[in-house]
Amino acid sequence: MSADEFDPEIERLFARSPQMPDAALFTAQVEQKLQKGSHVRVLALGLAGVIGGVVAVRETMSVNMGSGEGVVAGNALGQGIRSVSFNAQDAVQTGLDQLGLANLELGSMGGMQMFWIAAGALIALAAAGVMKLSQDM
Amino acid sequence: MTQSLVDRHDVELAALAAAGGRREFGELVRRHGSAVRGLLRRMGAQPSLADDIAQDAFIQAFERCAEFRGEGTFAAWVKRIAARLYIKRVAKEARYVAEVENEDAAPATDHAGLVDLDEALKVLSEPERLCVSLCHGAGMAHPEIAAALNLPLGTVKSHVKRGLDKLRARLQPTGQPLGSAQHVG
Repeated sequence: MSADEFDPEIERLFARSPQMPDAALFTAQVEQKLQKGSHVRVLALGLAGVIGGVVAVRETMSVNMGSGEGVVAGNALGQGIRSVSFNAQDAVQTGLDQLGLANLELGSMGGMQMFWIAAGALIALAAAGVMKLSQDM
Repeated sequence: MTQSLVDRHDVELAALAAAGGRREFGELVRRHGSAVRGLLRRMGAQPSLADDIAQDAFIQAFERCAEFRGEGTFAAWVKRIAARLYIKRVAKEARYVAEVENEDAAPATDHAGLVDLDEALKVLSEPERLCVSLCHGAGMAHPEIAAALNLPLGTVKSHVKRGLDKLRARLQPTGQPLGSAQHVG
């Protein structure tokens, strides 16, 4: 057999694959992984949405409170959110104190500073994600 | 009447999978799972590693399904993804750069009729087996293999040529038509 005849024959042999006896199990494992990945994604997106929503409501309410135009119900909701926000801020500040970063006063930061810190963290996360994806490719 | 999954073409299933259809993608895995796993084993992966990489390849394929345009076959597309994942794995171990010659392990060619591709591939050295499988199994061009393996193009061509020479010598004397073992598409 010449080389010209042999190469296509080899390709034909490679194209034919034996059916694995555990093919059904393999398919089930892939489907399970897809399902799991989907749940994790939904959870992460949901969590991000909740956090974003809370921040957005808090900012909206604090703008309304500041201008003195809030209604009673709005006040109550705003105070609740503020309370949660301050609690979270306290927790973060405690963490920073433990890391020796006590000088970094979150409470003293303005809205824009917090915004840029959050944006920076998100960009860093996105960059890490892109790097991870590029390594997987 | 709704068309059943088994009647649908790969391209159609891939389009549905791209829209999030996991059932449709499951059908594609059922159709081509063995082919992808088989290729990885032919490239030299141990069965458990081959299965792990094949699973990862299908997960990647699902996430990138929208990129599949149906220009080639779906199986070929996933095989290339799997091949690249395997290359990445062996590159970490730097196994393919070792110029291991396996001439002594070449079995005699006297058991006519029993020789199939999987058996014949065992005669090849690891780099030859990898290069031949990437070229003829995953459909990658020589320059593409050279870039993926970070090897000179001439070395890749040499591995492929020597690998094919060994396969030819192993498969020809049997007098049997190539691919006489039972296979499914």
